[in-house]
Amino acid sequence: MSTTSNLIPRQSTTLIAAAVASILLAACVSAPVKPPGAAEARNKLTVLQSDPQLSTRAPAAIKQAELAVRAAEEPQPDPEIAKFRVYVADRSVDIATAQAQTSLAEDQRKALMQRGDQARLDARTREADAANSQLVNAKAVIAEQKGQADVARTEADAARLSAADLQRQLDELHAKPTDRGMVLTLGDTLFTSGKSDLKVGSTVNLDRLVAFLSSYPNRDVLIEGYTDSIGSDEYNVDLSQRRADSVKSYLMHQGINSQRLSATGRGKSDPVADNASADGRQQNRRVNVTIANAPVASR
Amino acid sequence: MHNSTFGDSSPAVRAVAWLSGILVLSACASTPPAPTESLVAARSAISNAEKSEAGRYAAPEVGEARDKLAAANTAVTQKDMTGAQRLADESRIEADLASAKTAQVKADSVNAQLQHDNDSLVDELQRKSGSQP
Repeated sequence: MSTTSNLIPRQSTTLIAAAVASILLAACVSAPVKPPGAAEARNKLTVLQSDPQLSTRAPAAIKQAELAVRAAEEPQPDPEIAKFRVYVADRSVDIATAQAQTSLAEDQRKALMQRGDQARLDARTREADAANSQLVNAKAVIAEQKGQADVARTEADAARLSAADLQRQLDELHAKPTDRGMVLTLGDTLFTSGKSDLKVGSTVNLDRLVAFLSSYPNRDVLIEGYTDSIGSDEYNVDLSQRRADSVKSYLMHQGINSQRLSATGRGKSDPVADNASADGRQQNRRVNVTIANAPVASR
Repeated sequence: MHNSTFGDSSPAVRAVAWLSGILVLSACASTPPAPTESLVAARSAISNAEKSEAGRYAAPEVGEARDKLAAANTAVTQKDMTGAQRLADESRIEADLASAKTAQVKADSVNAQLQHDNDSLVDELQRKSGSQP
């Protein structure tokens, strides 16, 4: 019995041995060695799952990747199987990432297209505005031109009308066209023989002349008095002058500007008929009113 | 009695015969069939990837998928059906990855083009509006 100087009892030794063994076993169970590469796959998956822009996309692919990574993380005595599972896990994570990125790109595309559409719309709006203002300008120009055209047309119409009117009025005056203008011959019926006063009620032709001259204020008038050959030249010139003046004064009284009127006595000159007969002399006693041609066409 | 071959054989001889029969059978059973389904799936996945022009956008992945499929077929000829199964599965998933990457590259390039168009448009607009008073 003295030989057994061992301080530790035999039972205790057995217990220690059992404890050590159980610790070793527990170490094996609680810290199994993960197949190489599984951690990398897990890291990639964690990156994907923690990306706020990607984690909610491609949920099916992400779930499948999660399962594949878990399978790869399981301890596997067969290195070939372990390698295979890591491979599948790695590719599964890559597929999930690619699908999530694709989905994100498709969403971003909508925004890009909207931005493009908006830009195009802006461009079109701006072009439309520009076109519109050009249109407004063009319309203004057209309106102006149209206005001018209208004025021109009105003037042309007026000119045409006035030409026709003039002709009609001249016709009424029985005026004859000459080089100097239209010549209107007022017969001696205007005057009592030897007198220069206009006869009452003989002014119908003169009133037409007044109307004409009022309508055409740019026409000047030359009034020339003529007599027959009876009597002295001096007397005849004087009489013819007074008769011309009488017509001029009548026209002035009717509102025709005196500056447009000139009156001359021509006496017995320029007879239009033979003074030998009474009929011829009557034709020679006359007042010619020459309406000058328009100075220059009023264009 | 002695002219019968098996009739008078000892029980030990019979046991050996049975055992060898069982061994032959079990050898047959232990050679699994070729992983036809996985091979077909891999071929189909590669074909899909090629249809989406993966050869252009994810060339390395398509190449690897093809290599894996070829290796799987080689494994089949070498009766390594387990290896063939794994290689076929790897080929399929690699082809799927090629398709996914192709889709992503295409989507990204469409976006880049849109972005470029938008930028050009905005530039043009600014130039236009700049030239106008």
